[in-house]
Amino acid sequence: MAPRALGVGMNFLRSPRVWLWIAAAIVVVNGFFPALWIFFTSLKLEGELTRLPITYWPQHPTFQNYLQAFREQPLGRYFFNSVVVGVCSTLLCVGVASLAAYALARLQVPRRGLILSLMVGISMFPVASLMVPLYQTFTELGLRNNYLALILPHAALSLPVATLTLVSFFAGIPRDLESAAMIDGSTRVGALWRVVMPLAAPGVFTAAILAFVNSWDEFLLASTLLPAKAMRTLPVGIQLYQGEYSFPWPLISAALVVALVPVALIIALFQERVVGGLTQGGVKG
Amino acid sequence: MKKLVWLWLGVFALSFAMAQTKIRVFVGGQQRPEIWRKILDNFEKANPGVKVEVEVGGATSDQQQQYLTTVLASRDPSIDAILIDIVRPAQYAAAKWADPLDKYLPGVSKANLLKQLLPAYAQADEIDGKLYALPSFADAEFLYYRKDLLEKYGLKPPTTWDETIKAAQTILAGEKNPNLNGIGFMGNISEGTVCSFLLPIWASGNDVADKNGKLTLTEDQARASLQFWLDLMDKYKVSPPNMAEKAQDTIRNEMQQGRWIFGTLFAYAWNRFQTDPDSQVKGKIGVVPLPKFEGGRAASCLGGWQWTISDFSRNKALAYKVVKYLTSPEASKILAVDASNLPVYPALYKDPDVLKANPWFADALPVVLSARSRPVSPRYPEIADVMRKALNAVLARTKTPDAAAKEVIAGLQAIYSGK
Amino acid sequence: MIRSERRYRRSFGDLSEGALAFWLLLPAGLLLGLIALYPVGRLIYTSFFKQRLSEGPQATFIGLANYAQALADDRFWNAFWNTVKIVVVTVPGALVVGLLLALIANLPFRIKWPVRLGLLLPWALPLIFVGLIFQWFFDSQYGIVNDVLMRLGLNREYWLIQPTLAFWAICWTIVWKTSSFVALILLAGLQVIPSELYEAAEVDGASRWQGFWRITLPLLTPAILVALIFRTITAFQTFDIPYAMTKGGPGTATETLAMYVRTESIENLNFGYGSALAVLLFLVSLAITVVYLRYVRGDDG
Repeated sequence: MAPRALGVGMNFLRSPRVWLWIAAAIVVVNGFFPALWIFFTSLKLEGELTRLPITYWPQHPTFQNYLQAFREQPLGRYFFNSVVVGVCSTLLCVGVASLAAYALARLQVPRRGLILSLMVGISMFPVASLMVPLYQTFTELGLRNNYLALILPHAALSLPVATLTLVSFFAGIPRDLESAAMIDGSTRVGALWRVVMPLAAPGVFTAAILAFVNSWDEFLLASTLLPAKAMRTLPVGIQLYQGEYSFPWPLISAALVVALVPVALIIALFQERVVGGLTQGGVKG
Repeated sequence: MKKLVWLWLGVFALSFAMAQTKIRVFVGGQQRPEIWRKILDNFEKANPGVKVEVEVGGATSDQQQQYLTTVLASRDPSIDAILIDIVRPAQYAAAKWADPLDKYLPGVSKANLLKQLLPAYAQADEIDGKLYALPSFADAEFLYYRKDLLEKYGLKPPTTWDETIKAAQTILAGEKNPNLNGIGFMGNISEGTVCSFLLPIWASGNDVADKNGKLTLTEDQARASLQFWLDLMDKYKVSPPNMAEKAQDTIRNEMQQGRWIFGTLFAYAWNRFQTDPDSQVKGKIGVVPLPKFEGGRAASCLGGWQWTISDFSRNKALAYKVVKYLTSPEASKILAVDASNLPVYPALYKDPDVLKANPWFADALPVVLSARSRPVSPRYPEIADVMRKALNAVLARTKTPDAAAKEVIAGLQAIYSGK
Repeated sequence: MIRSERRYRRSFGDLSEGALAFWLLLPAGLLLGLIALYPVGRLIYTSFFKQRLSEGPQATFIGLANYAQALADDRFWNAFWNTVKIVVVTVPGALVVGLLLALIANLPFRIKWPVRLGLLLPWALPLIFVGLIFQWFFDSQYGIVNDVLMRLGLNREYWLIQPTLAFWAICWTIVWKTSSFVALILLAGLQVIPSELYEAAEVDGASRWQGFWRITLPLLTPAILVALIFRTITAFQTFDIPYAMTKGGPGTATETLAMYVRTESIENLNFGYGSALAVLLFLVSLAITVVYLRYVRGDDG
């Protein structure tokens, strides 16, 4: 068992380093394996997939799936669309959720329980059964094939989880710190921005990842509200490599790798540098 | 000044006219949108002032249904004409999503048009005497077989299921290759499995419903069909035990690696066998109609795609003009040559350009002519669900053919009696 | 910075707490209202009508008949129990695995990114493709699961054909995918627990286990509850993974409620009944989640 995780931090130096390595290996293998499988598949030809015994590492690695993936579909454009929708909906979601969460965590809100229940309750309806009215709404607003038609619902879909995550973080931050800032002449919103948000950085960041990934992976709304070729997001674009009966795994894997790698790296780097820094600064300060 | 006003009016009128003559057609992502564009470019050249936009939807029939249900249930006029799967026209007609085409085909012109087409399509697209869609290209299930292996054992391409099973057993016993399988068919939960369920019923000369839409399928017939596929695995040992999870494309891929003797697959497989760079069976594959049972008749499962006009379109007459062109022999020929789509006009199977691009179409014609359409009913999706779940459960051995046949008949009775 | 603060003070400084709360909550209300109000209202409205497009586009008011039909529908109950089983297995499963992953990821590694990325990747892989990848993993012939089993000298299993195995294969996949979501939330919670607390506990002579039970778990409770609530809600809506892996098969052995809703609404165009099923799905997950929410409210009230 991993020592620090069980609570007592400094003991870890005394325990064998091996445990640390094993623990790390579990997480890495568990998380990376399917992604690596996709990567290996992207280097294979389709015939290899039904060979017996099955192969792991490709027998004759080839990059032609990547070339074909870019030739058949404007992957770059899809990537750009996904970034626009993902970033905008994340910013909108986290911004709106922070304000709401602050109110719910810190202020005297009448019927607070009801507001929380409503928020959570909305996410209990399967989106698939709301498609017709949603489509009508955005067609009436003239937003079909407009980024907003996806940014708004994506932000709204992640809003409940983002808000509740932030509520739980804001509630954990000592009120003294905030009061001190307010005595120093800051307003409540100023204190929220300067004191609470940095202290809740891991929570804010988590809310942002959840919102971003929700948006990055969402298929149903994206395929219905942004159907035009120039507006397709990655999940919508990638499924177009299929045929009516065929599912060309190598080609789709190549497109998935293209979709996955930059996002994963950016999030990992961002977390290491930005949030790591904020947290250390925050907890000590 | 006056001139300027007239100019503005002119521009306004022109832009109005332009807006009026814009038609949007919907095709699935798997249907080679670039070829449709080419056909529509021809149309635009011949009809100046009409712009036709292609909206490309999801790549499978399932995903298109999801999108089109949303658009059409919202009564959205933005799509004028839609390319739909063969099983949809009845549903579209009942939902009043499709504009009946009879008014554009007065007098004998409708009968004349239908006469030129493969007979099964006239059947599938005409509901209660009204025409709701025009067929664009055909598809059907074929019995693909390994010419080289059959020749090696001195066997002729089979015409009955008994011959097929015996041939598979002979070759399997002779080859002694553990990776070689006998008869491939669809048994996972998919549209192809509906066809699998229907094939033995048709091959013994029966059908699900009669001409008046009355259920005629009996429990015995249903059980015989379910038992037949199960026997291929358990009794005759010509199919591996995991048919319940095999997708059509897995069988296609395996056959391409030389691992099946027979495969019941749709038309798309042919080109993959012949042209894929890693195909091991180039020139070694033949096609024949699906086998019959003694005393029955050969029948294939009909697929294919139809053009229908949205009832919410604001420009139906013009949309019909577009659809008429899209389903013309001229367009059908482009689809046959460029996309290897099977034509719906029997005459085109003898066209030299078409045959030059697809020599195997000569063998395909008898198969397509023998093809029968799955039950034509607005509640087809429910019928299909009953059939494929039953066959899948039997192949997975979670239900006996007896129990599954009872459920099929009970399910179908409820649907056909309007419950 | 100073100028903006003054502006804030001018606009918010004089507001009473209630008014401030109103303005802070307003954007969230507007956003959710735009997306949910009309659609949810219409869904509930439609559920009181018979609207089956295979019989024509007309809708007839039939009161609660759709709900009565559902309660007498074997396929509804089959899907209901399948869904409940998935909730019962995958919610605690994802919570335990997610907690373990988060605890490991919070260890003081010198290089953090491989572990953090390992934590994130399952969540980042699009859901529809996760189902297809694991369908492949569990394929009886070409899947790595059987490949590994057979290398270990064990028997080939028909994972996706045999109902019980198919259920566990689906649960395994869901836990793999969603433990990443749980871990992300819990890791953030772990990161804000001050290390001074552990040092103090150590001084008091507490063991590691005691530290975990007395410090880590209590301070992590709010984050755990958030993860639990949303994991439960998404578990009730389980669709993509079984849809990709088994399409509900064999037969209807792994069909979930969300899949049945889709079949009725999208495939069969049975809008009235499909809507009623969706509302029932909502009611079931509401009933369960209310229990959790009590805890959240009781926590700091």
